[in-house]
Amino acid sequence: MNLRVVGANLFVKLLSVYREKTAMFFTIAFPIILILVFGTIFMSQDNVGFHLCVQDLDQTKSSVESVKALELNGKFKITWVDPAVNATQYVRDNKVNLVLIIPKGYEMSLLQRTEFNDPDASVTITYIYDPSSSSVSTKMDILNGVLAGINQEMSGIPPFIRSAEKSILTRKYRFIEYFIPGIIAMSVMTLSLFGTVNLNTELRQKGIIRKLSTTPITRTDWILSDILYQFIIAVVSTTAMLLVSYAVFNVNLHLDAWLLAFILLDVFAFVGIGMILTRFVKEAQSAAAAANAISFPMMFLSGSFFPIELMPGFLQKIAKMLPLYYVNEGLRAAMVFEDNMAALRCSAVIGVFAAVVFILGIIATKWEEGR
Amino acid sequence: MTNEAEHVIEVEHLTKRYGELLAVNGISFTVRKGEVFAFLGPNGAGKTTTVEIIETIRTPTSGNVRLLGMDVTKMKRDIVPRIGVLPQGFSSFDRITVRETLQYYSRLFCRGKTDIDGLIDLVNLKDKTREQYKNLSGGLKQHLGIAIALVNDPEVVFLDEPTTGLDPRARREVWEVLQGLKNKGKTVFLTTHYMEEAELLADMVAIISKGKIIAMGPPAELVEKNTNYLVLTLQSVDEKAFEIIRKMGYEPVLNDHKEIKTRVEHTDDVQKILSAIKDAGALYLGLDVRKPNLEEVFLKLTGEALHDGHVGGKGAE
Repeated sequence: MNLRVVGANLFVKLLSVYREKTAMFFTIAFPIILILVFGTIFMSQDNVGFHLCVQDLDQTKSSVESVKALELNGKFKITWVDPAVNATQYVRDNKVNLVLIIPKGYEMSLLQRTEFNDPDASVTITYIYDPSSSSVSTKMDILNGVLAGINQEMSGIPPFIRSAEKSILTRKYRFIEYFIPGIIAMSVMTLSLFGTVNLNTELRQKGIIRKLSTTPITRTDWILSDILYQFIIAVVSTTAMLLVSYAVFNVNLHLDAWLLAFILLDVFAFVGIGMILTRFVKEAQSAAAAANAISFPMMFLSGSFFPIELMPGFLQKIAKMLPLYYVNEGLRAAMVFEDNMAALRCSAVIGVFAAVVFILGIIATKWEEGR
Repeated sequence: MTNEAEHVIEVEHLTKRYGELLAVNGISFTVRKGEVFAFLGPNGAGKTTTVEIIETIRTPTSGNVRLLGMDVTKMKRDIVPRIGVLPQGFSSFDRITVRETLQYYSRLFCRGKTDIDGLIDLVNLKDKTREQYKNLSGGLKQHLGIAIALVNDPEVVFLDEPTTGLDPRARREVWEVLQGLKNKGKTVFLTTHYMEEAELLADMVAIISKGKIIAMGPPAELVEKNTNYLVLTLQSVDEKAFEIIRKMGYEPVLNDHKEIKTRVEHTDDVQKILSAIKDAGALYLGLDVRKPNLEEVFLKLTGEALHDGHVGGKGAE
C-alpha cells in the first residue's frame, strides 16, 4: 500500500464530486428531504388527534356534554352532523370513515340509570363506518375504551386491575429521534453501495480502469481510497442531516464516537457489497438496477423507517439477517438509548459482516482486463 | 539471451486464445531501442491483444514475451514504472483539468519532479491547462493521453490506435506530437489501421492479419518488395470513363469522391488509358500517378482492405 497513491486517488475523487454540483446537491439533499417529510408527518405523533363526526339525535345537554368529554380526552376533534341527514349517506358523500350516532332518549336513559338506579336503563351508541379505511379500527378501539371507562365509573365499583406506565428510558424520545439514526444508516448504505457500483462501472466502461492497470497503483490502494472517499461523503451527508434535524425539529440525540464507528462500518460493509456487484455487472445501468435490488428491500425490511416489531414474525426473522438492521439498531442504541453494550453487540455483528464482504470484494475486484 | 541495448521488446511464438477464438497465432518479432515500430492491421487482427500482453495487462496462452529484458508474465511490478501506455479508446476523469490529470498520474508513479509544463508544451496543450477533460476535443483528449503516457519518462511508449475516430485535421495534429516523440529518441510501439500513419512515423512495420504477421520491414522496403505496379488516379471523371478503362482489361475502382483508381504496370499504360478516354469524349479534372503504399501492400498480401475504396487492378495477385 502506498499512501501517496491513496491520497492522489482520494483527491481526484473528491475534486470530481465537488465539481459535480448537481450530484453533490442530491447526495446531501435526498436524506434531508426524507427527514423533513417524515419528520413533519410524525412531528406530533405523541398528540395524535382523530377527526370524529358525531350525530346527536338526542340534542340534550347530557348528550352534548358526553361528546365534549370525548373532545377533552384529547384524541378527537369533533364535527357535528345534522340530525336530519342519513348518516350512512353522509359517510359516503363526505369521505369520512366513521360517524358516531347518539340515539334519541340518551338523556332520559342516563337519568333513569343515575337518578333512579334502574339497571335496565341503557343506550346503544352506533358506529357508521367505512371498513376500507385503515384508521377506523383504531378510532373504534379508542372509543370503546372511553365507553368502557364511562361504564366502569357509572357502576360505582373501583376497577380491580389498574395500569401503571414505567419507561425503560431515562427520558422520553420522539419518533423523529427514533427515525434519524435509521435515515443516517440508510443514506450511508445507499451512498456507499451506489457510489462504489456507479463509479467503478463508469470508470471501467470508459477504460480508465484499464489505463490505471498500466500504472503502479494496486487494488488495495484503489479500494482504500474508495473507502476513505465514501467515508468522507458519508460524514458530510450525516453532518448535514444532523444540522437540519437540530435546527428544524430540535432533536435530542446523543452524539459520540459510536456515530463515526457505525458510519465507518456501514461504509466498509456496503463498499464491499458494491465491489462484489461491480465484478459481475458490466454496464452502468445494470449496476444501478442490481444496487437497487439490494438496497430497496434492505431499507424497508431492516427497520430504517419504522420498528420491525410492526412486521409479521417471519419478516422480523429476515430483518435480523440483514446488515443494515444492525447499523440501525446500533445507531439507535448509541444515539437514542445511550446503551453502550447494545451498540457494542451491534458493532460486533456488522464488523464481522463488513470484514467478510470487504475481503470478498477485494478478491472479486478485477484490476487487470480479461486475463 | 536478451541484448537490452538492442532489443527492448522480444516476442517469440506468442499465442492468445479466447475460448475457441485464436486471436494471436504464434507471432514473433523484436523491437529495437529508439525505434518506432508500427503494428498495422484491420480491426480484429490481434493488434490490441498483442500490445496488451506486452503491456502486462493480459496474459499470453503460450509463447515468450520479454520487455526491457524482463518476462512480462512475471515482472509486472518492475516493468510498469518503466513503460508508458496510451490504451485504445483512452479516457480520463471528466471534471479534472489537464494540469491536475498530469499531476495525478505523476503521483501514481510517485514521481516528485515530473516536468508537467514540458509535457504540456510537448503535446501542444499550453492553452488548455485549466480546461476540464470533458471540455477537450477528441484530438486534444488524445494529446493529453499521450502526455499521460510520458509522465513517468518511460523507456518504451505504447500507443494503441492513437488517432482512431479523429477527423483528418486532429489526426495530423496527433502525428505532429508523435513526430516530437520520435525526435526525442523514444522507443514507440504504435498500433494503427491507418497506413499513412505507419508510413509517416514508423521505422519498422509489421502487418498483422487474422492473428498472424504476414510481412515485416521498413515501410519503403515492404512497398518495394511486394509491389511492381503504379496507381493511376483520375479525379472528377465521367462515369463512362470507368467503362472504357474496364473494357481495356484493367480493374478500376470508383470511390465516393468520384475518383477512379486503377493499377497499371508501366507509364505507357497511363498514356493508353488517357488517349482512350479522350477519344471517347469523356472528361476528367485531374490525374495522379504514384507508387503503391502500405495499404496496397496489405491488399496484395491478404486480399482484404484496411479501408474502403482500396485499389483493384490488372494483374492483382
